[in-house]
This record gives sequence, C-alpha cells and structure tokens, in this order.
Amino acid sequence: MTDTLSSRSRATGERVVVAMSGGVDSSVAVSLLQQEGYEVIGITLQLQACESVATSRSCCGVDSISRAQAVAGRLGIRHYVLNAVDEFNDRVLEPSWREYANGRTPSPCLLCNERIKFGTLLSRTRELGGTRLATGHYARITTDEHGTGSLLRGVDPGKDQSYFLAGITQEQLRSVLFPLGGLHKRDVRELAQRLRLPNADAHESQDACLMAPGQSFAEMLRQRFGDAPKAGPIVDGKGTVLGHHNGIHHYTVGQRRGLGIQSPRPHWVKAISRTESAVVATDSQLDLDGNEFIATGMNWLRGPTFEEAGICRVQVRYRHTPETATVKRLSPDAVHVALAHPVRAITPGQAAVFYDGERVLGRGWIDVSE
Amino acid sequence: MIYLDHNATTPIAPDVRTEMVSCLDCAFGNPSSIHAFGQEARCIVDRARERVARLIAAQPEEIVFTGGGTEANNLAILGAVTGRESGRAHVITTAVEHQAVLNPCRHLEATDCQATYLAVDADGCVAPESALEAAREDTTLVSIMLANNEVGTLQPVQKVTELLKGRTTLVHTDAVQAVGKIPIDVNALGVDLLSLSGHKLYGPKGVGALYVRAGTELAPLTFGGHQEHGLRPGTENVPAIAGLGKACELAGERLADDAARLGSLRDSLEQHVLAQLDGVTINAADAERLPNTTSISFQGLTADMLAINLDLLGLAVSTGSACSVADQEPSHVLLAMGSSRTEALSAIRFSLGRGNTSEDIMAAVDRVCQAVGCMGGRR
Repeated sequence: MTDTLSSRSRATGERVVVAMSGGVDSSVAVSLLQQEGYEVIGITLQLQACESVATSRSCCGVDSISRAQAVAGRLGIRHYVLNAVDEFNDRVLEPSWREYANGRTPSPCLLCNERIKFGTLLSRTRELGGTRLATGHYARITTDEHGTGSLLRGVDPGKDQSYFLAGITQEQLRSVLFPLGGLHKRDVRELAQRLRLPNADAHESQDACLMAPGQSFAEMLRQRFGDAPKAGPIVDGKGTVLGHHNGIHHYTVGQRRGLGIQSPRPHWVKAISRTESAVVATDSQLDLDGNEFIATGMNWLRGPTFEEAGICRVQVRYRHTPETATVKRLSPDAVHVALAHPVRAITPGQAAVFYDGERVLGRGWIDVSE
Repeated sequence: MIYLDHNATTPIAPDVRTEMVSCLDCAFGNPSSIHAFGQEARCIVDRARERVARLIAAQPEEIVFTGGGTEANNLAILGAVTGRESGRAHVITTAVEHQAVLNPCRHLEATDCQATYLAVDADGCVAPESALEAAREDTTLVSIMLANNEVGTLQPVQKVTELLKGRTTLVHTDAVQAVGKIPIDVNALGVDLLSLSGHKLYGPKGVGALYVRAGTELAPLTFGGHQEHGLRPGTENVPAIAGLGKACELAGERLADDAARLGSLRDSLEQHVLAQLDGVTINAADAERLPNTTSISFQGLTADMLAINLDLLGLAVSTGSACSVADQEPSHVLLAMGSSRTEALSAIRFSLGRGNTSEDIMAAVDRVCQAVGCMGGRR
C-alpha cells in the first residue's frame, strides 16, 4: 500500500485543485501540496446567491471568499470563485427539504461532499486541466497493488471526517487527495501559525454553510421551497394525543427540547409519521433504542458484499462509537443491519457508515419501517 | 501574460508615474495652506484640473475631483436629486448601466423617488425617443452612459440632450469607459454632468472627476471643508490628481492614433476567432462601439471556466464587468440585449489597450482556440 502523499517525485508540476473554504484546514492543505511539488489552484465554490448571504457570516458567503483569497495571496497560488448556486440548490437543498417533508432528517453535508465537491468540483477540476482535487478533510486514502483505493479514518480521532466522505465512489477516490488525513488538528494549527496564515486562529466552520440566522435549517428550507408546514398531533405510543405541533420538519428522532407538551416528565421524539403528520413521543429514553434497521441507497467502496450475512462495525451518526453489526444484503443497494447492542435514536435519513477497523466499507441511508 | 482586460483597469503610463513620483517626492503641501508648500501643491492641482478639462472641452472650474468613477456617479445622481428644489423626483436611466449608476438609482427608489430603466435593442443601444417618452414633469435627472463597459456600445447621448432641450431635467453621462477612447466634447454632447475615472485611462486608481456644467444645482454628499466647491470636501489627493491630469493630457495626445490602432487589432481578433472556431458570436457586432472592446459568446461553454483556463494559459480577460465577479450571475447587459441566460453566461470580454501588439492578438487567438478545444468546444 502506498500513501497518496508519498508520490513525491511524480507530483512535480502536476496540477491539483484545492477546495478552499477560507478555513485553516483547506489553507494548510494548499501549503502541504505546494511542498509536495504540485501546481496548486485554489477554488472556492459559491453555494448561495449573494443577496441571501450578504449579511451572514456563512462559509458560502463573501467573508469566506475574501478569507480564501487572502490565504491564496499569502501562499502565492491562483484562486478563483466558481458559482455552484444552482447545483447546490438542486442537489443538496431541495433533496434535504424533501427528506424533512417526509419526516426524515437529511444529511446535507454528506450530499454536498458526494454531489458538489466530488461531483461538480471534481469535473471542474478536470476542465481546468487538474489531475486531482484535494480538500482539507481529515481522512486518508490508500491504494493497494491492484490500484483499488480505500478510504480510511483520519489519524486524529477527534477530527476524523471519514463519516462525511463515505459516499465517495472508487472512481472519485482515484482523483482525490486528503493531505490532512495523517495529521492531528493541533499540528495543522501549528503549521498555519508557522505559515502566518491570516486565518490561523479562526474558529471552526463546520456546517456553517447551512446556518440560517434566526431560524432553523429546516424552516429556512421550507420557506425556500414554499411548502406548507405539515402540522398535526403529538401522540404517545398508544395513540393518545399529548399536544400539537406546527410542522413535522421541526422534529428529529431523539429530540427532547421544543416538544411543547404539558407534562411533568420529559418526553423524546420516538418516531415521525409522514402519513398522519404525527410526532410520536415517549417518556422513556429506553424506547428510543433500536436493534436493527435497513440501509438503502448503498454506496459500496470495498467488499465484503454481504451476500451472506457478515460482521462489521456501523456508525449511525457522526459522533457515535461504531457498533458491531450483522449485515445482510437485501438487494444491490439495500442491506439489513442487526446490531449487537441497542443503539439510541437511529434516525431515518441519516447516513449509516460501515467500517472494517479504520477502513470505510460503504455508506447507506437509514430507513426504519414504521 | 497577455493583458486584454483594459476595461477593468489599465497599467499606469510611464509619464503618469513620473508625474506622480515627483509629486510624492517634492510636493507634500496641503493645497489649502497659504505658504509656499501649499501654493506649490495648489499649483499642481490647478494644472491637473486644466488638463482634465481640456480633454473633454470643459472649463477648469467645471471639474470636481472625486475618489473615482463610482463616487463621481453617486455625486451626480444623488447630488442632483438632493439638490432639486422640492417635491418628488424621478430619474431616467438605462437597463445596461454600470452598478455605480444602477445602485444609486435603486437607492433613490427606496426613498420617495421613482426610476425608469430604459430598454435597449439587440445591440445594447437605447432609442433616444424612449428617453423623451419616459420624461415627466418631475424628471430631475436622465443618466445614460456614453459607452458600455461590457460590450462597448456607444449610446446616443447627444440625441437625447437635443430631444430634452428646453426642459429643466439634468442630463448625466457615465463616461468612465469612453474618456480617452473616443473624442468627447461636453458642449457638443450637451450634458450637464459627466463622470470619468483615472485608472481606466492609464492613470491611478482612487481618483476620478465629475464635470459639472457651470450653473448646475448639485448638493454635496459629504460635508467638511470648502475643497472642490464644497462638493467633495477633504484635503485633495494631490499625487493622484496630478496623475489623473497627466493621464488626461496623454489621452488627448494619443487618442486618434490609439483608437485607430486598437480598432484594427480588435477587428483582427474578432475575425480570427470567428474563422477558427464554430459557435462563436460577437455581441453588439452591429453597434457603433468603443474601438478597444469586444464581447464574444462561446456557445456551449461557461465563460467563467473559460476565463480561468485562459488565465492559466497566460491570457487575462474577464466575464462582463470586473465589479460583479463575486456573484457570477449572467450579465444584466447581455440579458437586456435579449440574450438567454445560457448565452449570457458564455460571454467573454476582451478589452485592448496601448500596450497590446499584433503579436499579442495572434497569441491570444491561439490560446482561446486551445482553451476552447480543451473544454470540448467547437473548432
């Protein structure tokens, strides 16, 4: 196996595009690739129209573009802004809204990585004569003797982002670099300071592109796509009405706050019924535990294929210690997952990512049959 | 690198640089001071004022130095409306103006003012009669650019002022792209206000001027000292003003030669691109245009990607106005000319300047063909 960054001699003059958010991570990625001998071009994608971001501090806004420009100037690379407003709307925001409207909780960051960064931006990279696209994600890529790639967790357990990247395909993996995968965040900060990057002390920008000032992401999407909210009852497991809500898109499985139930005991969202526009609540946290689920829309990066039931580890959300699971293939793109121990709040619409140790096997979308 | 983006900005002419450096070295005085240092600086500003006035056939006292073209446009539009006697106001402009005109008009619309945006034909040209038809009793100002920054179309400003003769309506023209490229005579044009900018004519950035016809009522937008008739208070930016003056003087001397030479280089660029590539359209081809400007649409390609590829190949061009890079929306100028969104997003502006040679143009054509070929365009 060869580390992608060990191909030093081949890097000379090879053109690589770095997706620059204006943050520390992608900035340090630029510098590392420069040291490897690549010709680096920085690209910042503009994901939202100017009017809607002019007043916000989001990572898609003018602020982040100017930060990226400042870093590019400091590091002496060319930097360009590319418009991906329509693609982001059609392939991330609109599908995310459909999930909320169906009582599910979308995973916009995964969609953005799969469709915008490794889709739109990777094809733009090729149009610009670039051989590779690099991002500042904390994950590693290795390649075996047959040229098959693997996506591995980043070495910094606190920053590993392989979960968000697990929708990448083999073909995309061959054209992508993650220069920070072998580093810890503290090393990256130190490098940024040593390089005197203008953003060395900036705060984390995670998910900032989806921030909507003064309202939730789900409500921002509802207003954007102009659908009426699906209001309805809040019921318990037996169907007794506990209260009313003003739209299922405000709720996610496992949520405790904001239920507005007149009860001395805390309640949690156990399930959301799209057909009845009902939010099912429970006063027992144990009720939130699940032993199994189905994952659909599978993206398999590497075997096993689970034709026969097999054992691996599965992670049902970003901050989740992976659980041992028995996985059985139901169809080319769906699996049944039986968990060794119950897992709390398995949420339809979220990504289930399957691991063999450090290695990502694949990604599916969680489905729980009602 | 070949630079074909002179409508975005121009390099400083060597003589302008010399003038500015000597000013920085030797004339630090405040033009308002009574002593020798002040008088020397005052003398430099006055000489610059004469030079600017001469280029557009104005009187020196009709020139107000500003912090650039945008500021000149704002002072003209907002100053004219604020300076009116009373009552509601109405302004007329065109759909193809620069943001530095459109946005002050939109700002006025947000107050008690109304604005009419005149349509243009397929070549980006306004019908002079449409300005007359739009004119009302309360029309305070008509603002029509002399030359369009994106496609180069010249507007019939003189015909508009003739049609409006006898009315109290003021006429302003944003001549930022025209000054130094075509001959300008404010009296022949009949305008009351005219904006120009230093860095579009081989002068420094951050300095411009507004021509204000003697007797025109204009209110200041900022308040302070008596400088520039109180219309632009604040200590004068002497080196920049000196540079602008020198740039205007040079422009006057070189205008005829530059226009003839750049016009033929521009035509040759268009002919070669048309001959070597399929699916290419020259925008505003039938209009009377600036000699140095061409806007070319490359069917099936997105101009922002093409412009980046050209930059990587060593050819600097732009998509539309350099001032609207961050939003990368289709050009409002091309949309107003009837282009579809896709067509408008496929247009590249080439704007030539003094430094360009016929070798540059041939190399530019090669690079355009190379980039279009790499991007799967048609050759």
